[in-house]
Amino acid sequence: MTTTHTRAPSAETKAPRRSALLQRDWSLLAQRLGALGIILALWQAAVLTGLLPSITPTVPEVTLGLWTAVTSTSFWTALGQTLSAATAGWIISCVLGVFLGLLIGPLRWLDRSTSVTVEFGRAFPTIALMPVILLLLGATTSMQITMVVLSALWPVLVQSILGARRLDPGIADTVRIYRIPRLLWFRRVLLPSALPFVTTGVRIAASISILAAVGIEVLTQVPGIGRMITLAQEAQRWDLAFAYLFFAGLFGWTVTALLARAESSLLAWNRQASG
Amino acid sequence: MTAPQSIHTGSLDVLGGEVLLDVSHVSMGYGDGEHEKRILEDLNLKVGHSEFVSIVGPSGVGKTTLLRGLSGLLPPKRGTVSVAGQTITGPHPDIAAVFQDYSRSLMPWMTTRENVAFPLQGQGVGRRERNRRAEESLEEVGLSGQGDKYPWEMSGGMQQRVAIARALAYHAKVLLMDEPFASVDAQTRFDLEDLVVNLREALGVTIVLVTHDVDEAIYLADRVIVIAEKPATVVDVIETGFGTVRDQVDTKADPRFQDARGRILTRLRKA
Ligand SMILES: Nc1ncnc2c1ncn2[C@@H]1O[C@H](COP(=O)(O)OP(=O)(O)O)[C@@H](O)[C@H]1O
Ligand SMILES: [Mg+2]
Repeated sequence: MTTTHTRAPSAETKAPRRSALLQRDWSLLAQRLGALGIILALWQAAVLTGLLPSITPTVPEVTLGLWTAVTSTSFWTALGQTLSAATAGWIISCVLGVFLGLLIGPLRWLDRSTSVTVEFGRAFPTIALMPVILLLLGATTSMQITMVVLSALWPVLVQSILGARRLDPGIADTVRIYRIPRLLWFRRVLLPSALPFVTTGVRIAASISILAAVGIEVLTQVPGIGRMITLAQEAQRWDLAFAYLFFAGLFGWTVTALLARAESSLLAWNRQASG
Repeated sequence: MTAPQSIHTGSLDVLGGEVLLDVSHVSMGYGDGEHEKRILEDLNLKVGHSEFVSIVGPSGVGKTTLLRGLSGLLPPKRGTVSVAGQTITGPHPDIAAVFQDYSRSLMPWMTTRENVAFPLQGQGVGRRERNRRAEESLEEVGLSGQGDKYPWEMSGGMQQRVAIARALAYHAKVLLMDEPFASVDAQTRFDLEDLVVNLREALGVTIVLVTHDVDEAIYLADRVIVIAEKPATVVDVIETGFGTVRDQVDTKADPRFQDARGRILTRLRKA
């Protein structure tokens, strides 16, 4: 997007702020690692003292499982399958959600008439639809992508509608006075104006997409990380199952963190203009 | 040379020359039928080429409503607005507008240059020509070389200059201004007033400005239209006779300025 790059702040103001930020980053990282360490220690203690069921693997076992996983090609293939299904579903959700949301948001009558449907769709437990979709499409990648879209579409749609509603009346008047054509208005006015809300929806949709893609694989025969989790469980390889679970979580977290980064640099104007 | 030292009661018609903007029997209001709230009743006004007309009235009288009518944003209940002989049915290429709330009319995700050039993009003007005209207009409002800044990096006065530059780049014949300097400090306000006076002289744009500030209305205009009452109508018209040049000290000390001021304030007190 060419419209939203940030201007570099002047050097004097940037230098001290940056080093302070860096320091904060490091101490935050240390705190987080500490928290993680405590959780792992508690886990290990719980397994050793028999607080958790005996099948629960110990921390070293899971660590070994992680190593086994990352050194096997089947793991990477599975990960690729999961991620591509999640990504495809996510992209479709984003395009569809943004398009529909920006269409519905500015039109008051359409907004009013669809709001119940949107609220219903958002609250609907999509997973309950799976048997039907499974019957229609079989245990295929397209079934998986459909399920991902049905789960991840809602946050994008809801946030896009909210974003489109907040178009400033002063800007709306300006756009009318200067007779800005519809398509240009959509691309250069409505979309950027809604973007601070849209990006939140897009970020939530990303983690939902990964969750849904893995979940579908756990529950059906669709290949991917989720399927590997099921297979490991069936084979009583709890160390591997936990290792895969850990990876699924790690990827969801990484994607969300990356998107949050991209978002904050894309929307510098929003922070500046409103604060 | 003996300059006339007294003010004249003006006419709602132009003094001579062509009519550019013609407001004919315009009534405006909100709501329909029985629920209609009438704001303006049977307003008539003709504005000539390169003329500067101020419309002054108390807050809430219907100035913004009138300007929305003139700009084609809100159709009048009755009567017509025409520009260069053409009756308008909505926003028109010959009409540009600058509103009071500059911070809400500029787009924070666009640079100053992009903001100024944006209406031209809508008209299908190519990028190079667009940027050239934007740069030219920014220069005219005293912001040359500031095109890469974002609106939120600028002061209120500068933002309003950008909004004016955008209107100039659009090459409209009529510039409508709704209390354009109401949100800036006094010194900035004087600077912007003089900028608009100079733009009228240099570029020959026709300006219709509404304000509740009597001094501003007199200082800027060739003709001051006073509106008052509910629903609002024209209650007085004054010819200032200052020509095209103004000075914040001399013009305001001019006996004609003082006369006009007294007359309008008295008239508005009555309303
Ligand atoms: N959208 C609207 N709907 C109903 N009444 C309105 C609307 N906008 C303005 N008004 C009313 O019209 C009158 C004139 O408003 P306005 O034109 O903004 O006055 P001014 O600009 O002179 O202060 C006010 O009484 C105001 O309450
Ligand atoms: Mg007003």
